[in-house]
Amino acid sequence: MNDQGVVSGLEAELTGILGNEHVMPCQSNLVIDGIHTQLCVEPATAQEVADVLRVANDRKLTVIPAGGFTHQGYGNVPPRADLVLRTTRLSGIVYYDAGDLTIGVRAGTRLADVQNAVAEHRQVFAVEAARASRATVGGALATASHGPRKHSTGGVREFCVGLEFVTGDGQIAKAGGRVVKNVAGYDLMKLLIGSHGTLGIITSANFRLMPAARQTATFMAEFRTIGEAVAFRERVVKSPLSPISLELISPFAEGVSGQSPKAWTVAIKAGGSDAVLARYRGELGEDLSRELRDANEAALWSSVVEFPATMLQLNQRAMLLDVHMPAASLEPALTEAEKAATAHGFIFSAVGRAAVASLTLALSPLPGDPPSVTQYVNALSAIRAACPADGAVIVRNCPSEVKKHIEPWGSAREVESMRRVKRTLDPNDVLNRGRFLP
Amino acid sequence: MSFDEVITQLQGLLGAQHVLHRPEDLMLYEYDASVDKGTPGAVVFPSTTEEVAALVRLAHRAEVSVVPRGAGTGLSGGSISRDRGIVIVFTRMNRILEVDVANRRAVVQPGVVNLDLSAAVARYGLYFAPDPSSQKACTIGGNVAENSGGPHTLAQGVTVNHVTGIEVVLGTGEIARFGGKCIDTCGYDVTGYFTGSEGTLGIVTEITVKLVRKAEAVATLLAIYNTVDEGANSVVEITAEGITPTALEMLDGLTLRTVEEATHAGYPMDSGAVLLVELEGLREEVEEQAALVRGVCMRNGAREVRRAKDETERALLWKGRKNAFAAIGRLAPSYYTQDGVVPRSKIPQTLRYIAEVSKKYGLTIANIFHAGDGNMHPAILFDLRDPDQLKRTVAAGADILAYCVSLGGSITGEHGVGMEKNALMPLLFNETDLDVMHRLHDAFNPGVLNPQKVFPTPRSCRETGSASLPPELRRRP
Repeated sequence: MNDQGVVSGLEAELTGILGNEHVMPCQSNLVIDGIHTQLCVEPATAQEVADVLRVANDRKLTVIPAGGFTHQGYGNVPPRADLVLRTTRLSGIVYYDAGDLTIGVRAGTRLADVQNAVAEHRQVFAVEAARASRATVGGALATASHGPRKHSTGGVREFCVGLEFVTGDGQIAKAGGRVVKNVAGYDLMKLLIGSHGTLGIITSANFRLMPAARQTATFMAEFRTIGEAVAFRERVVKSPLSPISLELISPFAEGVSGQSPKAWTVAIKAGGSDAVLARYRGELGEDLSRELRDANEAALWSSVVEFPATMLQLNQRAMLLDVHMPAASLEPALTEAEKAATAHGFIFSAVGRAAVASLTLALSPLPGDPPSVTQYVNALSAIRAACPADGAVIVRNCPSEVKKHIEPWGSAREVESMRRVKRTLDPNDVLNRGRFLP
Repeated sequence: MSFDEVITQLQGLLGAQHVLHRPEDLMLYEYDASVDKGTPGAVVFPSTTEEVAALVRLAHRAEVSVVPRGAGTGLSGGSISRDRGIVIVFTRMNRILEVDVANRRAVVQPGVVNLDLSAAVARYGLYFAPDPSSQKACTIGGNVAENSGGPHTLAQGVTVNHVTGIEVVLGTGEIARFGGKCIDTCGYDVTGYFTGSEGTLGIVTEITVKLVRKAEAVATLLAIYNTVDEGANSVVEITAEGITPTALEMLDGLTLRTVEEATHAGYPMDSGAVLLVELEGLREEVEEQAALVRGVCMRNGAREVRRAKDETERALLWKGRKNAFAAIGRLAPSYYTQDGVVPRSKIPQTLRYIAEVSKKYGLTIANIFHAGDGNMHPAILFDLRDPDQLKRTVAAGADILAYCVSLGGSITGEHGVGMEKNALMPLLFNETDLDVMHRLHDAFNPGVLNPQKVFPTPRSCRETGSASLPPELRRRP
């Protein structure tokens, strides 16, 4: 059978499951690293997801799970892509128990929709990602997305309390539950979170919510060097203060609201009464340069969350890296990373969690002098060499032709164990084949 | 291979002094903090990861099972051998390998006692947050296996929130390292997946944990009520108001009177319930929250809210709570503690349901629990020597757990499934859910590690003689 025959036979089978209107040719904007996919399907239930995956599994096809298509820059160039499975129709809040501070949502629900729904009850859904009005809950889980709240709440692994997902061979499974404390059964949430759609397609998830502070203020401190900024971070971390967010913003972090372009800024978001906020002022003292409230404050934090998207919008050929490391390594690693980026013809900027030491680095090409593929590759190698092994330097976005010459995930350890997990949940390698891990 | 031959090989591997095999020695290892029992075939004390790996490989060759064991304080039979296998005890692997103050991490061996780690890092103003009531004895390896909680995990999170890396001997006998000082690494979060897997995927031989900074101020309040309902409603309102205590514990009248007689913690003998509320943070925050908590409690009918004046008073209030189960032992020859969880908004109706169950079966039930996260610990009092009481006790426990599940809750919040509740897993998970978990089990453990635990059907080729005693039954010492 020729390719056309495969596609039309497949299309008929999928139409049988989903109906005509939910099986369609893939739109031209859903392209990953130059790879076009023929078909796009939009199931509305976990059962439909399972039925589609069974077909794909039987035919040994490759399925690209997708939500808002905002974070598809991760991973290797797909060696093959037969189907895009979008969670668009798997959306909505399943339950919201405000009294228990828990919520269950379907995977295709937009982050902003959940954030707004709980804000009415003065509660916080602490999952953050750029383009929250498009990005979905499922995508945020799959990419272990995080934002400035990670400083106080931890990553999403710390407050996702239950999951339903469909394995690569089409089994609907769940783990965890609805309650905030639960040790029954294996914690498969941990495996699925950050698995980049390679172990299963998440169909719904339950979360613990946080109470919102009655009021907040953001204290800004600006420094000439990264060393001074990190020294200030240490002061905060060793103080009795426990801020909501503790963010580091480098020079040239364009688009970050009110950021002075030449300074290393530490932004501290605090919540509490007037007396508590006064205490912050007292403890932080003369290092503070500004205090943001209300609209200015909101603008800063939303621009911090949007930083990766903004940098990419400003320059499609920027290379964005997610870096994680032990806190004490931050100063030497960023110092070296900045040097490496500059030496290879990029403008360096970074925004992220100062104490957790999880940041996004942006390497933007100098205007008028586009770096060669070799320069991208060399800059990445130098940054990886500068970061400790106990962490990760993951490519979040880079030009497609560069991707072929790099290892986007870096060097994973214990790959054999990882593969065992993958083979168990997706034996025919249906989900995001070839995109994750070496 | 005969078992005598196994013993000889174990002695060759570890030295004869590190292998127990005489019946009188093995008896000490046949139980945990429940009275579930199972006599091991041998008990061994390795001193290195390589020895643990060699033990697992030997177990494969000999076709006997291996069960890891810390201090034996578990509450679901996780460290009991059901089929006369080899129990590995970590007494000799009890060193704190590294304290990294700059990164706020400690690297420890599995046999390190929970409270010893906090004591060792106290001089830096740091501590290890998970605080099971058994923390003076229980080991961090056991905490990782069971994903242990404790009163202060309400604010700080349970063990999985504090483990960033593990070295582990897989069920296949291979040694692997996942995570490190940084939890975000490249690849799947196997560290998180292994934490709480109850020794059924691998044996943890080294653990990297977070250390947490001590708060500047702490306030410990005792709210005193005439009825259980008033206390339960206060919990609902404290949660809904967005107040975030570091601990929120409730004791009903029966429990608090018993505790008071045993420990003289200062709980008023004539009250119907008490709430123990702890707040931590900045001085200013603690004062404000204390005022809010006091307001909520008084609005809900508290007759008094006391506050510990100093560390001595605070320690006394906590002594009452932490020794509560020991005190309950005074009330009846035996008791059976449940570990169900309900949404916090449903605590009052759950307590009413437990009272109905108590009436229905003619059994006294004492309630003491982590109210702040809805983790109920009803202790059903009975006499083990009376077979009819025993039958009613088991039925009452199952009723309560089924009710918790019907409210969207769970059968276990922190004690683990083990051999106690494995038959109840289908209340929460359907066949497909369990099948997926089985597949993931088999990927790391072909069967030799801790068989017949967690999953409802016996998965080992060997079968035990009987289902043994119902779990968590405690006799008076």
